[in-house]
Amino acid sequence: MKTFALQHLLLLLLLNGLPAHARESDGDLILGNPGEPQTLDPHRYNLRLEETILTDLFLGLTAMDPEGRIIPGAAESWTVSEDGLTWTFRLRENLKWSDGEPLTAEDFVFSFRRLLDPATAASLAYFMYPIANARAVNAGELPPAALGVSAPDPRTLALELAEPYPHLPERLLYPTGFAVPGHVIDAHGDDWVKAEHWVSNGAYRLEAWRPQAYVALEANPHFHEPVAIPRVRYLPLANEQNAYNRYRAGEVHAIGGFPSSELDRVRRTMPEHLRISPLLSMIYLVFNTTRAPFDDVRVREALTLMVQPDILTEKIQRTGNYAARSFVPFLVEGYDAPVPAFHDQPLPDRMSRAKALLGEAGYGPDNPLEVTLRYFDEGDGKRSNLAIASFWRQIGVTTRLHHTELKVHFTDLRQGDFQVAQAGWIGENNPGHYLELLISDAGNVNYGRYRNQAYDTLMQAAGKQKELAERYRLMREAEALAMGEYPVVPLWSVAVKRLVSPDLKGWHENHRDVHAVRYLSW
Amino acid sequence: MPFFRTALTGTLLARLCSVWILLTLVGAGFGAAWSGWDPEAIDWEALEAAPDAAHWFGTDLIGRDLFARVMLGARVSLTAALIATTVSILIGVPYGAFAGLRGGRTDQLMMRIVDVLYAVPFILVVILLMVVFGREPLLFFLALGAIYWLDIARIVRGQTLVIREQAYIEAARTLGAGRLRILLRHVVPNVAGPALVYATLTIPAVILAESFISFLGLGIQEPDTSWGVLIADGTRTMESAPWTLFFPALFLGLTVWCFNMLGDRLRDQYDRQTRGYTRNIASESAARG
Amino acid sequence: MTGYLLNRLLISGATFLVIITAVFFMIRAAPGGPFDGDRRLPPEVEANLLAAYDLDQPPGRQYLNYLGMLARGDLGPSFKQKDFTVNELIASGLPVSLGVGLTALLLAVLGGVGIGVQAGLSPGSFSDAALMGAANLGLALPSIVLAPLAVLVFAVWLGWLPAGGVGSPAHFILPPLALALPFVTAIARLTRGSVAETLLEPHVMTAHAKGLPHRRIVFRHILPIALLPVLSFLGPAAAALLTGSVVIEQVFELPGIGRYFVQAALNRDYTLVMGVVVVYAAFILMFNLLVDLCYARLDPRIRVAD
Repeated sequence: MKTFALQHLLLLLLLNGLPAHARESDGDLILGNPGEPQTLDPHRYNLRLEETILTDLFLGLTAMDPEGRIIPGAAESWTVSEDGLTWTFRLRENLKWSDGEPLTAEDFVFSFRRLLDPATAASLAYFMYPIANARAVNAGELPPAALGVSAPDPRTLALELAEPYPHLPERLLYPTGFAVPGHVIDAHGDDWVKAEHWVSNGAYRLEAWRPQAYVALEANPHFHEPVAIPRVRYLPLANEQNAYNRYRAGEVHAIGGFPSSELDRVRRTMPEHLRISPLLSMIYLVFNTTRAPFDDVRVREALTLMVQPDILTEKIQRTGNYAARSFVPFLVEGYDAPVPAFHDQPLPDRMSRAKALLGEAGYGPDNPLEVTLRYFDEGDGKRSNLAIASFWRQIGVTTRLHHTELKVHFTDLRQGDFQVAQAGWIGENNPGHYLELLISDAGNVNYGRYRNQAYDTLMQAAGKQKELAERYRLMREAEALAMGEYPVVPLWSVAVKRLVSPDLKGWHENHRDVHAVRYLSW
Repeated sequence: MPFFRTALTGTLLARLCSVWILLTLVGAGFGAAWSGWDPEAIDWEALEAAPDAAHWFGTDLIGRDLFARVMLGARVSLTAALIATTVSILIGVPYGAFAGLRGGRTDQLMMRIVDVLYAVPFILVVILLMVVFGREPLLFFLALGAIYWLDIARIVRGQTLVIREQAYIEAARTLGAGRLRILLRHVVPNVAGPALVYATLTIPAVILAESFISFLGLGIQEPDTSWGVLIADGTRTMESAPWTLFFPALFLGLTVWCFNMLGDRLRDQYDRQTRGYTRNIASESAARG
Repeated sequence: MTGYLLNRLLISGATFLVIITAVFFMIRAAPGGPFDGDRRLPPEVEANLLAAYDLDQPPGRQYLNYLGMLARGDLGPSFKQKDFTVNELIASGLPVSLGVGLTALLLAVLGGVGIGVQAGLSPGSFSDAALMGAANLGLALPSIVLAPLAVLVFAVWLGWLPAGGVGSPAHFILPPLALALPFVTAIARLTRGSVAETLLEPHVMTAHAKGLPHRRIVFRHILPIALLPVLSFLGPAAAALLTGSVVIEQVFELPGIGRYFVQAALNRDYTLVMGVVVVYAAFILMFNLLVDLCYARLDPRIRVAD
């Protein structure tokens, strides 16, 4: 043990003198990632920071251009049947894995089955539930072969759906839709993800992964187009202050966040480095509708009336986040979200109405309402929740703040163990992706256990439409209905603040905050 | 009380330190009220404001009065020190006295255990406790106390060995007093002095340990605060608002330093009285922060 | 002396077992399982996960299995770092932690003993007051303040040294310095007291009276005795250094096992937490044994007593 450790120490100090100083490296790109990936197996991934790396390592059927538009990926084209239930993808010619082996439609069939096979224990397998029989396969009720995926010929892949799902090309952008190399998994089992066995089909392949230090990628010689950046190194920079320091010390070319209190200074001293882009996301408060006091819609309404999202974003955070007026983020294209009327009323009117509502519900100076607000996010979330507590204090409500780390927070939310809590959803360009959270059988992601038969019926009807316009019309109706019962308080959509080296070309803002390295150059 | 005697008659340094500690104690008790600001209230007109007449230490990122928060932090940090030190005395004194009084193999074994326990990474265990059982401040402070009884046990055992040989213990024994009675009536009162002196050196160690764990985000949490939490926040805003780091760091640094200086002084006085076998152990305990 | 060492070894072994047992059952008492994402898993999937990590067994059984694995030197798979085993993670993190820790220990001993001896040889003099005054300042600058400031000044403002991470020898300058400083103070204080006291010992007085050269007295008669307390301090110091290194690794983003520990504790990565505690405990206990061994060889009292 001891000699072993010493050897490593020597290696580390002497031989392994890697040029981590960005300014000394030539051509290599060094990027900050907000944490350490837990896995690079696209079927087992869970975190956005893993998605970032996986998008460089793999190429799905569809892909995204630098501006966030959906473009062909491994598939050069696709068609949908008249009933919206069969999607046929035509693969590019001569696709290869990074070890030179040919990549065929069978590889995708293998991969979709592996994803939904309960033995894989993929926690995000439900992303592919639109595929016929996916739910049953994932629950172990049907064999993986029963999945609605087939390969009529090596360049054609057919996906059968249970219901029309016009957002499928977008859904396929996630790593859950990526192909994994069956021939390597057969040979090495779970060890296929080790750098020495690594095979993938993206613009890059895994070169090395040193835990908590870096994940290094190198260009894949078999990718169908050339890339300008030969090597990339992702550093886990979980602490924003540290990331900011290391960026300024010239050790990283781009970071995913910095302390919001530094925004003014950055604007002043290094504006050419600053990149702010809106992210398709919704941060909101959720009321537990099954428990006093929030089983009373009057109390929910009163507290909702007092929250001013624009004060949070403009005065408290001052970090460019976008105040929300609806549950579906304004960034979702083609959907005109309904805005509740109270947003345009002056605050004094709202306050007197809120007080009246609380009074009706039995709360007042002699019986003050006390609530516990739970949160998990130490950054913008903490400050905003302190401010929300002060909003509520204006109508005599005492708020205790209760912080727990992310894990515990969401466990308790799923179990309904809270009164009112902060929650967040980073979603798709699809209103249904947000509104699903309020369906009564959504399972425990409907944290507040909101239940409304009419809402469920509308959402169900929307899910059967294959035309977007009709889907959206029904969803809009559903959202308006739900917002009249105040199950959630929409707060803001996140603005991602990055620092990016001005030397780096090809970097574009997009609503998903995905920046594939293959589009970048010096 | 040796503390007050030193405060009045010690060297200039010791007297200054005593004054600082007394001020911090009073501040911890009433400071938040003096400032006129609630430590949790947000002053919308002064977000991240520099120190001025209204906010003596300035405000933090969301406009809370920093003076009030540093005083609240003092309350939490000093409470931690008080509780943990009490626990360390409550464990250390009986343990050391019993070992010393029994002597022989029992004593040897008990002291070996203390030696080995010095080597246990207790801080990791405290962190685990926090993660597993939630961030309960009281549990946190008690757990810290469970680390620092080792020094006290050693000192007390040494003292007991000396006292054991004294004539009055012999007398009591001849008169038929039981072991427990001897322990309570004769040994404990006589080791209380030195135990208190060394407790003075435990205080800064506890304050530091608390601040380290809170700095990592694993100890005290909002809206409560401690110096460690304030420093962690301060390092995040030290460029845009240097005062958010300066004041908590000043209070933590100076308080820890003063307790150490005072502890040294008390120990020296005490050593001069007893001509001390215990000196080296004491320097160690001062050092283990 | 063999008896003395055997005794120590036995108690160390028992302590090790107690630590492992306590930590093992403590983590299993934690609320929130290791696989809580923000969506519930289908029962079939969850069952597979639990079985893969041996969590479907009763706790007593799991404990025995763990001890069995431990005996074979296997710390198991990591719950959260799914692509690595705990052994692989520790093999990657331990050299960093050891490198920083041992460098800091060396710096602390050299600096602390140097200052302490210089000050202790002329107690009450100006150089004593100046040196010890400076060393005592270290007590007022805890590393949670010092380390972030050092990064700001030396990396961000001056650009002399890297702000964090690993990769070149330059990355191993600030962290050990920041880690060592409080221990320089501690060792200096300890050494000074001990040297000053040894000066008054009869055999040192005699040596002076015999007119032996000053250097010779210092190195032959004073230091061997005066440094014994420093030696015995190194055992506890190793444990304290480790606490410090958890903070330092966090501030400098060093991929050492202290950082793993904090991350794993927050993520409820049971096996990694256990692994780190096991490794730390083993190292510290071993280090203490080593110190004891040196002490036993050097201290005439123990040699005689045996």
